[in-house]
Amino acid sequence: MLLLKKLHKWVGLFIGIQVLLWLLSGLVISLLDPVKVNGRQWASPVVTEPQYIGPTALLEPAELPTEYLKDALSIDLTIQHGIPVYLIRHSDGEHLVSGIDGSLVTFESFDAQKLASQDFNGDGEVISVERGMAPDMETRNHSGAYWRVNFSDKANTAIYISISTGKILERRNSYWRVRDFFWMLHIMDYAGHKDFNNPLIITVALVAIWLGLSGFLLLFGSFNRHDFFFLRFPGKRDDVVITLFEPGVTGPRKVVLRRGSNLFLSLATHGVSLPSICGGGGECGKCRVRFEVTDLPDASGIDLLLVPKRLREKGYRLACQQIVENNMTLHLSEGTLTPPD
Amino acid sequence: MPFLKPPVVARTLHKWLGLLVGLQVLIWLATGLYMVVVDIDFIHGDTLVKNTQQPLLVPGKSAHDIASLRAQYQDATKISLRPVMGKTFYTVTTVDHRYLVDPQTGAVKLPLDENTAREIARYHYAGEAQISNATLISSNPPMEIQTRRLPLWRVDFDDRFSTSFYIDPYNGSLATRRHQYWRIFDFLWALHIMDYEDRSDAHNRLLIFAQFTGLTFAVTGLWLLFYSFSGRRRKKGNVVI
Ligand code: FES
Repeated sequence: MLLLKKLHKWVGLFIGIQVLLWLLSGLVISLLDPVKVNGRQWASPVVTEPQYIGPTALLEPAELPTEYLKDALSIDLTIQHGIPVYLIRHSDGEHLVSGIDGSLVTFESFDAQKLASQDFNGDGEVISVERGMAPDMETRNHSGAYWRVNFSDKANTAIYISISTGKILERRNSYWRVRDFFWMLHIMDYAGHKDFNNPLIITVALVAIWLGLSGFLLLFGSFNRHDFFFLRFPGKRDDVVITLFEPGVTGPRKVVLRRGSNLFLSLATHGVSLPSICGGGGECGKCRVRFEVTDLPDASGIDLLLVPKRLREKGYRLACQQIVENNMTLHLSEGTLTPPD
Repeated sequence: MPFLKPPVVARTLHKWLGLLVGLQVLIWLATGLYMVVVDIDFIHGDTLVKNTQQPLLVPGKSAHDIASLRAQYQDATKISLRPVMGKTFYTVTTVDHRYLVDPQTGAVKLPLDENTAREIARYHYAGEAQISNATLISSNPPMEIQTRRLPLWRVDFDDRFSTSFYIDPYNGSLATRRHQYWRIFDFLWALHIMDYEDRSDAHNRLLIFAQFTGLTFAVTGLWLLFYSFSGRRRKKGNVVI
């Protein structure tokens, strides 16, 4: 138990802050509404009217310029923005080629602004359109050049439109940015915000599991059945009288405690605060009280560790390690009953 | 109990909050550990597949070119070129049907039969193991393909990962792949976000309540740590009462 406690404390000291950050970032992420985070909240519903390819004369795929066909992985013919187009996918990106004349279709800032405005139904106007040549943090799941269309809404929406396909790549906003920041903290990938298999988090997680395991075992040790007295029938009380003496205080003070409760904690709830730093954890050794020889309990492992032999022989034990069993008399150190202030 | 001293409050809170969420915190740590330790590309099955980036051989003019397909399928909304086992096919999508067309011979009989599904699975499988089973799933999909369009052929391999490939019988593509470690990941993810049904909603009340409690639990723990390490320094020279 003692060893477990040591382990728990030292692991806590080293990675406690990260455990706190995991819980905090997890909480923030769960609190954010995913519909806002991914921008669907302010996206126009998709119109699903079928767009038939129709009978217009078209080029066959084999008639398209060879530079687009080389190493193509897939080709899709559809109607987009009113014209028949071939979407050609390569390992490094996608292109749209007109089915009518084989020319490359690209999207200009004006088109991007139009497409983004059609999509956005929130409360705001386009304030600027910027060109991005390579993926940044907000477009990290894509490749290729894009337009970033910024809106004036409260959530600072930015809609990203691919230059080569006109597709909406992402809808980003303040909710997403907050989530992404906390996601970074959660997965400890401070550069990419993406890789949760990174060596840092693996190391910390491997250490943290010991915090959890030791804590879990300690939890069992820290409870006894008397902690659950409130589950018993009301009115059925089983009390013990403790008589307290303190040098310089005239007359004993008597307190009535529940049998089976922790001596240190019970005294504290009755207004008798024994000296302590650790708050009853069996760590500081300050809560020692002197028992009468007739009631002297056996010294526990923690008593042996924290109470010097000389004092143990005089009848000193740590109150936080004692369960109240019988009526007894205790001698407290000066200033306990009457704090000198 | 207004007279309890701060460390006593912290210790009592830490103990009782531990009783309330201790198990869940341990579950968070353990499931999190699995997810960070096991490589996500492996989980996605990237190491179990091959031949997934085959370049197309674009067919020339033939009796079954796009012009003829458009005449045949006048309500087509999409005509694609896709490789199936290294050979290029057309897939035609209309409002309510899909067709697979061999550029040389014309339409292929759909849905693809079990043998073809097995062949396609074999073609994409990077391992050595034998196929143990193939089933056509047209309704009640298992949890692991819940968001996928049905029907799908499920082809199981007899390997140590219990790999399953899902083949789309209407276009011959490898729709997705699953294996034991993916299934474990998915289950642990459900435990991690405490969404035991859909396994996808991290915006649920139970989770938020547990996180809030867990956070208080962690704060009281750190708070206690502060007392326990400040006590260490003062302990010396404080033997006699
Ligand atoms: S209160 Fe610190 S050891 Fe008892």
